Amino acid sequence: MTAPLPKRIIKETERLQTEPVPGISAQPHDDNARYFDVMVQGPDGSCYEGGVFSLELFLPDDYPMTPPRIRFLTRIYHPNIDRLGRICLDVLKNNWSPALQIRTILLSIQALLGAPNPEDPLNEAVAKQWKENQGEAIKTAREWTKLYAQPKQ
Amino acid sequence: MEESHYLNCKSRAQNYNPPVDLRLLDYVSIYDNNLMCAICRCPFVDPVVLSECDHVFCRDCIRQSWNSNTSYTPLGPRGDCPTCRTPAKLGPRSATSKILVNLVDELVVHCPKRDDGCKAEVRRCEVQDHVNIYCGYTVIECTDDDCTLPVRRKDAAQGCLHFGVSCLSCHKELQKWKLEAHWRSECADRRVHCDMCKSSVFYRDLEAHRKEACPAMSVSCPGKALGCTSRSKRGHAELHAKSCTFAKLAPVLLKQQERLDEQEAAQKEMSRKLEVLEGGFQNMQGILYPPGVETSQRSADNSLTPSLQERLFGSGTAESTTPTGTAAGYDWTESAVDEDAVSPAETMHTAFSSATSPRQRAAPLPPGPRPADLPEPFSSDFDIASPTGFPPPATNGGPYASPLHHLLSMHESLRDEMTRVSSALSELDGRHSMQILNENLRTREEISYLAAQTAGLQRQVHWLTSSALQRQQGRSPTPGASSSGAGGAMMDAGAGAGVEAAVGAVSTAATALRGAARMVNVGGNGSGSGTGTGMRRGTSEEGRTKL
Repeated sequence: MTAPLPKRIIKETERLQTEPVPGISAQPHDDNARYFDVMVQGPDGSCYEGGVFSLELFLPDDYPMTPPRIRFLTRIYHPNIDRLGRICLDVLKNNWSPALQIRTILLSIQALLGAPNPEDPLNEAVAKQWKENQGEAIKTAREWTKLYAQPKQ
Repeated sequence: MEESHYLNCKSRAQNYNPPVDLRLLDYVSIYDNNLMCAICRCPFVDPVVLSECDHVFCRDCIRQSWNSNTSYTPLGPRGDCPTCRTPAKLGPRSATSKILVNLVDELVVHCPKRDDGCKAEVRRCEVQDHVNIYCGYTVIECTDDDCTLPVRRKDAAQGCLHFGVSCLSCHKELQKWKLEAHWRSECADRRVHCDMCKSSVFYRDLEAHRKEACPAMSVSCPGKALGCTSRSKRGHAELHAKSCTFAKLAPVLLKQQERLDEQEAAQKEMSRKLEVLEGGFQNMQGILYPPGVETSQRSADNSLTPSLQERLFGSGTAESTTPTGTAAGYDWTESAVDEDAVSPAETMHTAFSSATSPRQRAAPLPPGPRPADLPEPFSSDFDIASPTGFPPPATNGGPYASPLHHLLSMHESLRDEMTRVSSALSELDGRHSMQILNENLRTREEISYLAAQTAGLQRQVHWLTSSALQRQQGRSPTPGASSSGAGGAMMDAGAGAGVEAAVGAVSTAATALRGAARMVNVGGNGSGSGTGTGMRRGTSEEGRTKL
């Protein structure tokens, strides 16, 4: 076994369980406390409203000095999220700060769902559609949310 | 020698007790969140303040954070503040005020050897001293001069404990000084307290206890599958089950659900089978009734003479005295569900009637003498076929549920028979036309052969006549031989008459042949199949014969 789990990760995990962020849940795997199953609800008033998106989150060994790795597992129609679920978000890359936490990052992702940014796209096709015909793009996003991101019964 | 030994021991003693990591300590009381480093989420350890933005971090945390993403800078560590991103640097005088250091040092923590049994609670600034000097659970070198193995400080007074013993509970071999730790945390037969119900159980049984027996463990209602969401402690589960309707219904409903699933699966299989069968049936129907045949049959049936129709209907009414005939009559006139069904006695009649019945349905008063003749028998049919007077199906001797079924089945069998007959007919037709064609060919060949022979004869006769005439004309101008010439003329005339007669005979023969050929052609045309190629060949043959 590698180095013991840093106190910070234990604390963050505990806090995520005891005081969960509304609309977000993160559950560590039993066999790997650095690997989380995340569920994020689409923000109200956005075209992802009513959807429940599942993500995977991994804390690298040098966390919190390096950002966690996050990926969407649910398909989503979003200009900053590509087909593999990778997310284009500054705080997950250059603008990472060790003062950020799992919960703040997940909140950022939820905010990204509420405010897509087609000017800094990861998925060119979606961003093009978003810029040229926003109504149609939002309609597609709603359809995809209905199709792929329905909460499990 | 003594000195070196001491130094040696000292270094090893250090190894037994590495410096306490303050970030791994458990705090006795809840501390203020403002005393927490934003990076390690622990109370500050050696806090520093960034003079540019006044944010405070542990010295190690901020250094590590900046080292990981910036390269070496000669002006000392610098980077952005992790909290507010203000560019900042760590100067030589970045230490925070004493008050913050005091605040975090005053926090009371548990001894890091708590898991081993130390119950001490000390201030954080003293924890290192506690571990190094006072804690009885810290491992030091054995006090025995000849032994250099580690031992806990509180056991050191008991002399050397480095001899083998075996655990009384689990019989594991181990050294005496480790026995207590073994009982505390390793031995499978030690007593532990269940976290939930506080009862004391053996460690090896703990899992089973939690899963099955622990009364404080929360279990879901047995009616969970039906929608009861309540979870209650095992001790209260019985009470809940008594009051919960879901729990009462669960066994019955679950069993029903199981059966339903089974039946659904069976039904799915059946429907698949049915689909396959239907597909096969439609294929067969497609083979039996190609779309062209049906219409031609209908058109042929429409041309049926009224007399034939009358005969058919007459037979139908004649049979209407028998029970089956009555059934047929009923079906024809009243129910109109299955109009094609008639007595199975005469297949041909059935077939025709099945074809004619739609006409009857379309025109209630068909043309011809029928309406005048037939009202009586039909009305009698009505009377017999009225629902009260309907003969029971038992009279038909068939195992059918109702007369309608019987009629339907009869209709089906008749239809089958009809298709058999029609296929046989078409086969016969084909064979017949083939035979005629063959015969025709042979006859035509013979005729053409004869015609050729006749033409040859004609040509010979023409040649003979023309040569004879030439000879006659060439001889007649000579006056010297009048008598002989007259005689010759006489002779020639006789010969000419003979030739004339022969030519006439030949030409009559030719006309006769032509006539025969025409007849053959007519026969070929009339033989039904009359394929276009056959006809064309016939005409060309005729033309050749004419030539």
